[in-house]
Amino acid sequence: MKLFFAACVIGLGLLSAALFLTQSDREGDVPVITWITQNDENKRAIVDTFHQWIKDQKLPPVELRIDNTNQDPTKKLVQGVSGVGADLLDLYLYETDLFPATGMIADLTEDAKRMGFGPEATYPALYDDVITLGRQYTFPRNTGVTLFWVNRGTFAKYNVPTPPWRWNSDEFEALGRRFVAAANPPGTRQRVYFANGVSRDVLRRGLGLTTFNETGTFCTLDDPRNVTVLTRVRKWVVEDRLFPTKEEDAAMAADITGYGSMFSHFTSGRFAMIYTGHWAFIMIRPRGVFQLAAVEPPQDDFPNTEMGAGGVGVYEGTKHREHALRFMQFLASEPFNRLIVRQADSLPPVPKYAETEEFLHPQGRENEWGVHGAFAQSGRETGILYSRSPFVLFSQTFRIEMETYEAMIAGRLTPAEAAKQMADRINTEIRLTVARNDRLRALYEERLELQRQIDARRAAGRPVPAAWVTDSFHRAYYQKHGWLEEEAKP
Amino acid sequence: MRSSRSQTRRVLTGLGFLLPNILGFLAFTLVPLVLSFGMAFTDMDFFRHNPFRDEPIRFVGLENFAWLFGHPEFWHYLRNTFFLMLGLPFAIAGSLGAALLLTRVGKRPGLIPGALVLATLILTGSLLALRAAGMSEAGVWFIFGLTAATALVAGVFTGGTIYRTLFYLPHFTSGVATFVLWKKLYNPQTGPINFALAPVLDGFGGLIRAAPGWFSVGVPVLAGLVGTLLAGWQLRRLRQHWDDATAGQVAVGFGVTMVILPAGFLLHWLGVPLGLAAGFVVGAVVLLTALIVRRPRRWGPVCSLDTGLSAEIALALGLVPLLILSAAGVIFGPTLPAAAAAGIEPPNWLGDYDWAKPAIMVMALWAAIGSNNMILYLAGLSNIPPELYEAADMDGASPTQRFWHVTWPQLAPVTFFIFVMGIIHGLQGGFEMARVMTLGGPAGSTTTLAYFIYIEGFETGRLGYASAAAWVLFLLVFILSLLNFRFGNRGTND
Repeated sequence: MKLFFAACVIGLGLLSAALFLTQSDREGDVPVITWITQNDENKRAIVDTFHQWIKDQKLPPVELRIDNTNQDPTKKLVQGVSGVGADLLDLYLYETDLFPATGMIADLTEDAKRMGFGPEATYPALYDDVITLGRQYTFPRNTGVTLFWVNRGTFAKYNVPTPPWRWNSDEFEALGRRFVAAANPPGTRQRVYFANGVSRDVLRRGLGLTTFNETGTFCTLDDPRNVTVLTRVRKWVVEDRLFPTKEEDAAMAADITGYGSMFSHFTSGRFAMIYTGHWAFIMIRPRGVFQLAAVEPPQDDFPNTEMGAGGVGVYEGTKHREHALRFMQFLASEPFNRLIVRQADSLPPVPKYAETEEFLHPQGRENEWGVHGAFAQSGRETGILYSRSPFVLFSQTFRIEMETYEAMIAGRLTPAEAAKQMADRINTEIRLTVARNDRLRALYEERLELQRQIDARRAAGRPVPAAWVTDSFHRAYYQKHGWLEEEAKP
Repeated sequence: MRSSRSQTRRVLTGLGFLLPNILGFLAFTLVPLVLSFGMAFTDMDFFRHNPFRDEPIRFVGLENFAWLFGHPEFWHYLRNTFFLMLGLPFAIAGSLGAALLLTRVGKRPGLIPGALVLATLILTGSLLALRAAGMSEAGVWFIFGLTAATALVAGVFTGGTIYRTLFYLPHFTSGVATFVLWKKLYNPQTGPINFALAPVLDGFGGLIRAAPGWFSVGVPVLAGLVGTLLAGWQLRRLRQHWDDATAGQVAVGFGVTMVILPAGFLLHWLGVPLGLAAGFVVGAVVLLTALIVRRPRRWGPVCSLDTGLSAEIALALGLVPLLILSAAGVIFGPTLPAAAAAGIEPPNWLGDYDWAKPAIMVMALWAAIGSNNMILYLAGLSNIPPELYEAADMDGASPTQRFWHVTWPQLAPVTFFIFVMGIIHGLQGGFEMARVMTLGGPAGSTTTLAYFIYIEGFETGRLGYASAAAWVLFLLVFILSLLNFRFGNRGTND
């Protein structure tokens, strides 16, 4: 038995050593860098194009590999802060703030200037996704803008006019009610919805409100305008039945893999519209040819659309920093941007490629022609990033807002109570963060002072220096209303 | 000398075999445990304390605990955790029931194969005939489900080892796989549960619409009657036990509280403010307890204050849910005709705030019935000396008396063990289910303490704070286990 045991230990040890020594990235002299992203046809094409670009640029060879097993944000984060992250990481939405805050994402500011992938290379509206607290940590590999996709065939089927490009909440509600009544015979269970949902943030911004104040020091959702929005959305979901509830939506899913069901419902006519990004072409094209359009989400006083970067960051602990930087440089290159245009995977990171004929009017896809231009126009004119605060994680803000909204839809909170609870809970989180983090506390004090000055100036009807307003929405809103004093410095 | 050397060698060999396990325990259990205890008193946050941010970790004393107790969500999630644990007595009863049924397996093995084949043929033929005759698909599925369940239970009575395997199936199936399966089953539009429920609810709705008066009055009256009878029975029982000196003052107070508490819920549901309802509960408990304990004892004061408490706790686990159900019947009965007027829809199990927790409890019940608990009960049943049953038979005991006077007391140690483990697992559980099935929603209704710890630790990065929450959870487990050992195992020693 002892011999057997010893043999097992030795055998396993030898096998482990053999496995380690035969790992493919140890085979040759070409360094291997790993990129955490989806392993799909489009990403594989990106990898191939990158390898070709490296050859064309006569750069030292490098092998880029996809790691799609660690895409879960928590896994990425925990591995990263434990010192075993991948060389390149996809960073979406809140991750563009969250990950740099841990120090695990490399500061690229100087390299980006040197290699041509600074914030000026992409959409100005993406500035706050690329730059965090004055430093650059990411560069977009694509640009997400969210609009309502319209299946014109579904509207025609029920003899309801298609929506206009720009509309307000009342018009949205009127058309939605008309559509739902036409598409669902009385006395039957509802099967067809006007849309899959609507963004509460866009509605709030349409009324001049967003999650945080100008400096991100306070959550402002306890505001009558938020109550108006929540009341309206509740009516649309519960009374008018324009959209399914989140649970009904999940229940309608034919699979549990995420987005698939939304597109099948859209193309089969169960959703007349879906609220999603340009990348939806990847999902819609294989399902057939549809008469498509894209329109803005409903908004009242301030036209805006949601925008965000699908960014890539370099891991601070990478052993191949130069090669990883090459990939970042590649993201701003023509071959990469043209590839994104061909793939229709959102807007290319460099705006000029979204103005090309190849992007706007792809050959053989005449049914899509108006849609590409609509997304490009929104990216240029109305796209705004989500409201953010360095003092609370976006994931927490999102969870609290969603949890409270669900409680309101379930009838456990009134819209006014929900609005108050959202603000109270988010502000509690801000207080918790600031109490512990010396670095952020100093920044918080500084921004509180700025906020006081902003409030004083606004009360006196005076313009405010642009640099004081750190929130993307407020900057755009102030700009539109002529409240910015561009030259002044804080 | 030689023998000592050989003994040392034997010890070293044994340690050699144990070493991987000991190292694993040290690396993955003991060290993290000690570290997490330390972290609970620090401001450790992986946004600031990681290989890339070398900020000093500060000792913050009890600040994390103070924050935790001031965090409204903590109390919300603690309530959720306790609510989900209400299924524990049903799970224990289910496991015992399954074990009792399965002890009959193998008594008449000759019947099994033929009976199964015949039953399958008859079932398949009948269903095909029903479908051909125009019965709806839903109806056919419903009959199929009922018949399958009947066959299963009937099969247990006739014997067949396969049933032991079938009952144990939930335990050796991967948790995540069963959660995904149940998510499919619960799908309100395409899931088989609602598929089978819809025609039944349609029929029930029709009945209510046909005689709304019967239901609007009948259900609350019946529920009220059942509740009153149960409460009366318990109060009478408490008085009897007090008189017999088999219940002390604490046991009586506890027993009375468990009866009055549902009445407090009833008042609150009827619109009485919470403070007033709580006042009623306190007043009624004090009054009724005083009325009972001031009675002179037939046998004198021969028992201690907490005598009989364990029996009251065990009884409360079954009685309180029944009384709460009765109270719900009183409240919601009158609304049935209005609800039926628009047709009764099957529930949106995981999507509805009020149904999500019960749905998870039902799934947990299914998993618990065929779990290790059932195996423990099977082992316990096989250890009961047959002479006890023979003696009971000679005394002319009925099957019910045999169960209550022989089986149940003999199984008391097993029940106690299962109860303690159930409490521990209940407090620590809910993470996987919530993560896979609901992500803690809707509106946080299925977020348990374990899930809260995960969110705080790995999504928010506050490792110190999450550790404090984990140690509060440990403390809860410890205190409840201590109470269990102090009061819960009295019956097992008798």
